[in-house]
Amino acid sequence: MSNTAQLVVIGAGPGGYAAAFRAADLGLNVVLIDEEANPGGVCTYRGCIPSKALLHVAKLLSEARHATAWGIEFPEPRLDVDKLRAWKDQVVAKQTSGLGQLAKLRKVRSIRGRASVVDAHTLTVATYEGGEETLPFETAIIATGSRPTTLPNTSLGPERLLDSTSALEIARVPKNLLVVGGGYIGLELGSVYAALGCEVSVVEMTAGLLPGVDRDLVQVLQERVERVCKSVMLDTKVVQMEEVVGGVKVTFDGRANPSEQVFDQVLVAIGRKPNSEIPGLERTRVEVDRRGFIGVNPQRRTAEPSIYAIGDVAGEPMLAHKASHEAKIAVEAIAGRKVAFEPRAIPAVVFTDPEIAWCGLTETEAAEQGTPVEVAKFRWGASGRATTLDRNDGLTKLVIEPKTERVLGVGIVGVGAGELIAEGVLAVEMAALTRDVALSIHPHPTLSETVMESAEVALGESTHVYRPKRATATSKA
Amino acid sequence: MAIEFALPELGENITAGEVLRVLVKPGDVIGRDQPLLELETDKATIEVPSTVAGRVQEINVNEGDKVQVGQRVLTVEEAGKQESGIGKQESGTDDAGEAAPSRATAADAQEAAQPSGEGPAQPAGPPAAAPEGGVAEFKIPELGENVAAGDVLHVLVKPGDFVERDQPVIELETDKATVEVPSSLSGRVRDVHVKAGDTVKVGQVIFAVELSKPATAAPPAEAPPPPPDADRAPAPVVAPSPSPGETERPRAEVFDISRAVRPAASRADRPAASRAEAIPPRPNVPAAPSVRRLARELGLDVGDVPGSGPAGRISQADVLAYAKQVITSSPTPAAPPGAAGAPTLPDFAKWGEIDRKTITGVRRKTAEHLAQAWSLIPSVTQCEKADVTALEALRKRFAPQVEQAGGKLTVTAILAKILAAAVKAFPQFGASLDLAREELIYKKYVHVGIAVDTDRGLLVPVVRHIDTKNITQIAVEIANAAQRARDRKLTADEMEGGTITITNLGGLGGTHFSPIVNWPEVAILGVSRARMEPVWVEDGFQPRLMLPLSLSYDHRVIDGADAMRFLHWVVEALEQPFLLTLQG
Repeated sequence: MSNTAQLVVIGAGPGGYAAAFRAADLGLNVVLIDEEANPGGVCTYRGCIPSKALLHVAKLLSEARHATAWGIEFPEPRLDVDKLRAWKDQVVAKQTSGLGQLAKLRKVRSIRGRASVVDAHTLTVATYEGGEETLPFETAIIATGSRPTTLPNTSLGPERLLDSTSALEIARVPKNLLVVGGGYIGLELGSVYAALGCEVSVVEMTAGLLPGVDRDLVQVLQERVERVCKSVMLDTKVVQMEEVVGGVKVTFDGRANPSEQVFDQVLVAIGRKPNSEIPGLERTRVEVDRRGFIGVNPQRRTAEPSIYAIGDVAGEPMLAHKASHEAKIAVEAIAGRKVAFEPRAIPAVVFTDPEIAWCGLTETEAAEQGTPVEVAKFRWGASGRATTLDRNDGLTKLVIEPKTERVLGVGIVGVGAGELIAEGVLAVEMAALTRDVALSIHPHPTLSETVMESAEVALGESTHVYRPKRATATSKA
Repeated sequence: MAIEFALPELGENITAGEVLRVLVKPGDVIGRDQPLLELETDKATIEVPSTVAGRVQEINVNEGDKVQVGQRVLTVEEAGKQESGIGKQESGTDDAGEAAPSRATAADAQEAAQPSGEGPAQPAGPPAAAPEGGVAEFKIPELGENVAAGDVLHVLVKPGDFVERDQPVIELETDKATVEVPSSLSGRVRDVHVKAGDTVKVGQVIFAVELSKPATAAPPAEAPPPPPDADRAPAPVVAPSPSPGETERPRAEVFDISRAVRPAASRADRPAASRAEAIPPRPNVPAAPSVRRLARELGLDVGDVPGSGPAGRISQADVLAYAKQVITSSPTPAAPPGAAGAPTLPDFAKWGEIDRKTITGVRRKTAEHLAQAWSLIPSVTQCEKADVTALEALRKRFAPQVEQAGGKLTVTAILAKILAAAVKAFPQFGASLDLAREELIYKKYVHVGIAVDTDRGLLVPVVRHIDTKNITQIAVEIANAAQRARDRKLTADEMEGGTITITNLGGLGGTHFSPIVNWPEVAILGVSRARMEPVWVEDGFQPRLMLPLSLSYDHRVIDGADAMRFLHWVVEALEQPFLLTLQG
């Protein structure tokens, strides 16, 4: 039996490995448990990283097609799915083996296996090799992440029914695909399949794509999604799915026409749920709420003082960068530092084409909370850089506290929005005023100028927006 | 080049002083260590020596001004400004003149032999360091309250390097924080005595520096920090502190910050990490993440900090200023005494039968009041014995007379009269301290509190205007008050407004004890039982009746020597009752 570990991290995703690495850097002896050979988690193996590799390819394909408008014509691309998959796997392998190296260099002890809780200071690990190891610990961090939510009562086999994990494998490119769920995962994967030449339909239960995201941002995306996809069915539910010859017969309830359609494959992307069903967890004081999230305090400590939880399993938003930030907070709290999880702006990015990104307070949230805000918008029609890209389908907006002119939130839709939002995060975290943003020189010609220009819009000083009077400057652009 | 001289740090907890005299005038040529100001601080009157040399251009303070540490005092035109800094430092010993070179070298050799720095420290007075061109040692400055040592993470200089004042030279991990310690000296580094991983103590020598002469490039070198035991000399403590004129070198801030943070950090530490956890996240306060983190580390809620930036944005400086304010304005934790903040009690029933009783009003009041006084007042108790043989004979002789008047001629009654006279002679013993307004309140009356033991607990009725009454009147009043206290007839206002208090436990015995000052008073006299003792008088032991006295006092207001003088005055008055009529 081994000595007591100062810290055991269960799960080696972007939260878990960040925690283990930080703890090792602080001089703790750390054990990292995961089912995979290397750290990385869903994000690196089956999420962010492989999907972005495929989205990169999708972008290339779509730009190649677009090039016709600029006088360049490519022949119809020939797709070698096996080669594409191999490249994607290679991207994943590069990332994960790099992380494995980092773990070794930091002398983090990695155990490949599944953990069960014995009590507040003991775990057992069923190892990949088949043994079982008892692991006494001083502190543990649960970073077990989340998994795709599945539809109940479907008897469809994996050949027809995909989730985000199997969709990334691209066993084949189906003739047509139904994406169930108009959230970010469905839209990202849907756009990959569409770019690969598949006829994609999207069905969403609520009235709009990307529920919760500001409508004006979604509107820009939706226009393009509707062009790229065969159909987008809003306010529509899937009532029944049934395997028929040559595909899946899906029965809809809502605005689908016809209400019964046959698809080659169905991708279910209706959300993710936390992996909090750790055997034996009930033997501790750790609390799990109705939705499966583990309750934590600002230091990410659970009701069991020796156990912390971070990442998807510890609550929304389920984002890798939130997990890795929480990891640092938790580890530093364990090391006795006075820290708390208190970000003002957790950026969210939807890697569709165009991308949508936002941080801080959104206009939608402000309306729900009844917080009075000013909103300043700059449409990319007036952006020189957007014009050179032939992508004027974009919008940058600031959500501003009227009294102080402080930037409370930033929302962007357009190509590269995911990169642009970082400036918004800094502005919100630093409590920047619109004046600060407007007075900071932005490089020309770049899309980042749209952030500065939206601040100028707020102040009624935008170079590229004509406003007869300041009074109207901050309403609608 | 004009250099500004700002009021240096004067010692722990001294942030300001009042200018009594300005010792130089514009046009004077001053040297380093030459006294510039006579300053009255809370602690003492001190002469502030110069850390700069040159011709005085302008004096920015006047007699009677209150000056803060860091405030500009005067500006000098620096002498020898054409000389290059590097050249000076190379040929430093030539310029130093006088005895400096040989002395400094010897001292250096000696110190080098014992790098622990425990050896003879530089005298704190003016000749402390070879002012220029000599060798000085850089020692770990004070790092904060209760921080005595730290672990060296990195040494940022090596022998031969040229360091400037305020340049970080060592990265230190203390149990409070990781700090960069800036140099207080400028010059070429000679010997570095520590390495990463070492544990170093405050005052320990880190390296020796060949001092550079103040030149255009380098800021003036300064005396090395004094030994930590500042009480060895009455001379002012000239701690390294950047002057406000140094804004062009942002590094200067580092030192300031770490100093300012210290008391706060140590305070915040005491209630343990749970305090930091208890502060809710404040993502919506207009403060950068680093500023929010700093506030949390200091145990402050960033939401409480007033922001000085645009739209109320809170800067790091705002947090530090607020921390300072919190520390100075509330010397005690705001928790109700004895209640919140007290650790959880164990379950006593585990070890045997117990009985719980609600505490009564008087007991609760006493508990609150005494806990407050205890935590508020840094008090000292001084003990002495008075020979009351003669007084006792007089007391016995006149007791029947007083009894006829309806009183009882007790030691307490006599002491009340003596105390009233003593307070007249030493008015600070009847004063109260108004920290908020930075004032002492002197009272032109003497009301003496008399602690009375009742079956309900301790009560302290106040006998008023003792100074205008004779002992018989006082004895009568005390007897009445004591009776009213036992009969539960005392009203609250009869127990307020005391100038000083007597607590006499002599009836029960005891030798000495340490009474708790009855806030807002500043002194209390404890009396124990008089006993016949052999006392060496002239050439033999004689039986004398000795009365033990214990004087507790608020050390913020009263100094030890004054307390001793006061107590001697009281003792003499007891031993020579005639003095009372003579002086009282």
